[in-house]
Amino acid sequence: MRLSLSGEHTGDDYNLDVVTGADNSGGNIPGGRVLNNFAEAVMARDNQQTEVERNKIIELLGGAAMADASAIIAAFNLVARVADATGLPLEDYKEEASVELRSRLGLNSLVTG
Amino acid sequence: MQLNSFEFGAVPVRDDLAQVLEKSWTALSTSGAWLDGAQRSAIVDEARNAWECALCQERKEALSPYVIEGSHDDLGKLPASWVDVVHKVVTDSGRITRAWYDSVIGEDLLEDEFIEMLSVSCLVTGIDAFTRGIGIGPATLPPAISGEPARRRPGGARPGPGWASTIAPEDAGPELGNFYDDGPYYIWRALTLVPEEVRRFWELMNVLYLPDPGVEELGNLERGITRGQIEFLAARVSSLLGCYY
Repeated sequence: MRLSLSGEHTGDDYNLDVVTGADNSGGNIPGGRVLNNFAEAVMARDNQQTEVERNKIIELLGGAAMADASAIIAAFNLVARVADATGLPLEDYKEEASVELRSRLGLNSLVTG
Repeated sequence: MQLNSFEFGAVPVRDDLAQVLEKSWTALSTSGAWLDGAQRSAIVDEARNAWECALCQERKEALSPYVIEGSHDDLGKLPASWVDVVHKVVTDSGRITRAWYDSVIGEDLLEDEFIEMLSVSCLVTGIDAFTRGIGIGPATLPPAISGEPARRRPGGARPGPGWASTIAPEDAGPELGNFYDDGPYYIWRALTLVPEEVRRFWELMNVLYLPDPGVEELGNLERGITRGQIEFLAARVSSLLGCYY
């Protein structure tokens, strides 16, 4: 939802299908494709592929971008696990605000409990 | 502060991030609120070992992980019920259910211990993802530091909003201090049953991500990627973990 809001704020039209991996085009996000491939490689714990994708990010966006992309991947390894292990529901206001988005991305059928 | 757990070399890691990583990492082997340094160190080791567990791999590939029975490949440092928690959190957190949560909380594992164990498991997993991303080896944990956890639950805890008990903003006492000043988000509330741990967790999280995710774009924050790129990576990683919070 924050990606959608960020796009609204900056006037960018992001394709949110990239979030679920249904679209690997980069979704109009600058460097989106290489960032996606980097995140997938890190999450797959594939060191060889991670090195390949890391070098692509450094070439396209720079070393600081690579380090901060790694930081975000780390951060959401933390909070996603905490949210799921404690069974956090969405806040009411987030649920209301994300009805259309969740439906569009097919997320409602993926909830466990 | 001596920074020696991470060999960043030429990788341009922000100074604030380097400092908080060192602090968070070394805290993993010190006494917490409910677990001592040796227990927390054992959780770190077991979290890393979880990726090699055959049972976890089989469960990960199954349509439902809960129909696959067996024993974890563990290091023998923690009780079996604790190993199950650590392995589940690390390898398949997106399919954790209320029934599983209720089954692991009991005499062998207090809810407070679960929360601290969850935090430690997540911290090591996240920090290892960071070092893998930037291309340096995993950090070595310092030797466990002795100390006796206070093992005292703060006042104001009650069930909800998820499965675990938490301390709501309106019930927060001095243990949480100004923790809720920036907002009442559920994700901030999730670990509040253990105030000491929730502070440790968010001290790192705020520097890895953003101290106030409500800020428009990045404000004056120094980051190598834009807010749009940050939120894309955040959403993509959550999706890869099966988290739709």
